[in-house]
Amino acid sequence: MPRFNALGFGFLAPAMIVVTLFFLAPVILTVFFAFTNMSTSTGITGGEYLLTQSSLREVRARSVSEETVQKLESTVYAVDEAGLARLAAARDAATADELAALHGGAEFTSRREMERALKDLRENRIRSTRDRKTLADLFTTSVMDERFQTETEFRTALSAANISEPDQSELVEVAYTGWTWTTENMRLLFSLDSSWRYAANTVFYVVLTLSFNVGFGLFLAISTFYLPAPIANTFRTIWFLPRILPPVLYVLMWYWLTWDTGIISSFMGLFGVSPRNWMLDTATNAWVVIILINGFVGASLGMILFSSAIKTIPDSMLYASEVDGANRWQQIRFIILPQLRWPILFTSSYQTLSLLTSFEYILLATDGGPGGATEVWALAAYHTALNNYGGNLQYGLGAAYALVLVVIGIVTSALYLRFFNFKELVSKPRIEQ
Amino acid sequence: MTSNFRAFPIVALLTILSLPLVVMYGFTILDSVTDTEPGSLVPTEFTVHHWRFLWDDTTGRGSVWTATLNTFIFAGSTAAIVCATSLTSAYALSRLNFPARRFFLAGVIILHAFPTITLIIAIFLILQFLGLFDTLIGVIMVKAALELPFGIWVMKGFYDTVPWEIEMAGVQDGASRFIVWHKLVLPQVQPGLSALLIFSFLSGWSEFILPLVLAPGSDAQVLSTYLAYFLLDDSLEVDFNLFKSVGLFYALPVILIYLIFQKKLMNIYGGGSKG
Repeated sequence: MPRFNALGFGFLAPAMIVVTLFFLAPVILTVFFAFTNMSTSTGITGGEYLLTQSSLREVRARSVSEETVQKLESTVYAVDEAGLARLAAARDAATADELAALHGGAEFTSRREMERALKDLRENRIRSTRDRKTLADLFTTSVMDERFQTETEFRTALSAANISEPDQSELVEVAYTGWTWTTENMRLLFSLDSSWRYAANTVFYVVLTLSFNVGFGLFLAISTFYLPAPIANTFRTIWFLPRILPPVLYVLMWYWLTWDTGIISSFMGLFGVSPRNWMLDTATNAWVVIILINGFVGASLGMILFSSAIKTIPDSMLYASEVDGANRWQQIRFIILPQLRWPILFTSSYQTLSLLTSFEYILLATDGGPGGATEVWALAAYHTALNNYGGNLQYGLGAAYALVLVVIGIVTSALYLRFFNFKELVSKPRIEQ
Repeated sequence: MTSNFRAFPIVALLTILSLPLVVMYGFTILDSVTDTEPGSLVPTEFTVHHWRFLWDDTTGRGSVWTATLNTFIFAGSTAAIVCATSLTSAYALSRLNFPARRFFLAGVIILHAFPTITLIIAIFLILQFLGLFDTLIGVIMVKAALELPFGIWVMKGFYDTVPWEIEMAGVQDGASRFIVWHKLVLPQVQPGLSALLIFSFLSGWSEFILPLVLAPGSDAQVLSTYLAYFLLDDSLEVDFNLFKSVGLFYALPVILIYLIFQKKLMNIYGGGSKG
């Protein structure tokens, strides 16, 4: 029976708390959010119940009886406690008491009748017609344009207006301003033309950038391997810098390279070419620049991994091949490349996942432009939920976009486990046995 | 291995391919201290005018020094949290025996490979719920949490190389596991710890999306969002000399750290976290 060490849990606890709160919780909540209609207009905490003129239009579209709609639209004047209190505040208590004595509990369907009721006052006469008109408005009771904090309050008000039980439930749904559960996002995801375009853009982007990364990374690693150390190191540093420089500065440099006030335009200007924005002019321009921006960073990872893999090839193998008369190309083709099979596979799978999900460089460079030509899936999720020009941020739909990536991420990461020799990793600690 | 091989064509080809990058690096430094006539490529005069943002708040985005301080706090705290927590958890995963250890290890591997940026929408909403939105502390916690699986993974690798004999000797002499860890094992993983510290500091220093989404206000802004403001705001007049000076100022610590710790970094970036 192995002994367990309580220290293990103590040592793990801090990491577990942080990871659970800000890593695992977001994973689970992405699923939840994807099935809500959360947006800027619904807020994220909860909502109120509010019927407005525009929501009446929606009420009509539902199976609500015509009678109910009329009741909602018509204004009823009721001499109730609330109205009397308002009158007491506007005039005085004596007036209110007299009206209560005369017409307490009465209901009128038009303002004219209400005014007539006010005319009946004898001891506290309201002489001016205009005053009576304004005071009559104090007795309006309507559920329209009034905010209710809870569903019970709202239903009580609806019952007071004699609205039938089934219609009430319909109205509750229409009037709620907060978020609700829905599967609408999933339906949209598969029916919108734009989401298919984002998917196509993403595949295009990942395939091209990945080929560039691996191909160019291989070229850099192999060519610098054959060069004398000082020259090789210089080139490695040049190509390593994009990886270590902050992305914002790196993209800024590309702006300067490609914009109409940038160096390419200035340089071409010497030959009479009019300045243009080489980054955003056409969709082709944008794609080329985006693939290069990502590719230069990605190639450096390939370069590092492949270089260290090449270094592990025994010198004797290379010397032997030269003795046998192999030329440079044969050496690369038959000795170096076969040795790089695993690093290439690793780099490809690793970068596929990160290219699928990261949108940092595209956001900074083209922001999906021109005209949405370079909008990839991950960037669409960001634009939908966190930053769009319409101003209404659709958290729910954005989370649905993100959910697709989260699922891909989980599946791929789980596959990752198989790459590792897991048995060896979890070999039993030796002291407790 | 140079007998049947001429280096010159390769060097020429590499030089041509590297030209865009070299031009970008060179002119970033050159343009930040010189003025150039429009339409010309050759700078004409020396000036420090482009560095005016250091003493003069003309950018409309607040003082650059506040942003710098925020960036230091952000990068420093995330690095400290990541290092401190992965130092203990990685040891537990590497050396201690406790229930569900396999499960935790598998969890770390999966989380390490998981693309964290996909969680940004949910995290945004969580910070809103918690009231930590638009605060530095919120972004720090999030960045640390997302970086942690990588940190634990790297540290576990370093712990795995420490010989068991050292620990067994300590336990034999009557020390508790905690003392053994503290007195005997920690000094052994010192190099790994400093590599992780540098790496997570740089990663925090360069982080852009998290501060952009989670702390968009000008109070908690860091240098990356400060600089991105110039790029993303269309209403601003494009002044590349100014932008480059800000960028250079921002990247200075990165370049310094790179020059000092080059060897260490190359190793850790091999298993790095950027695409």
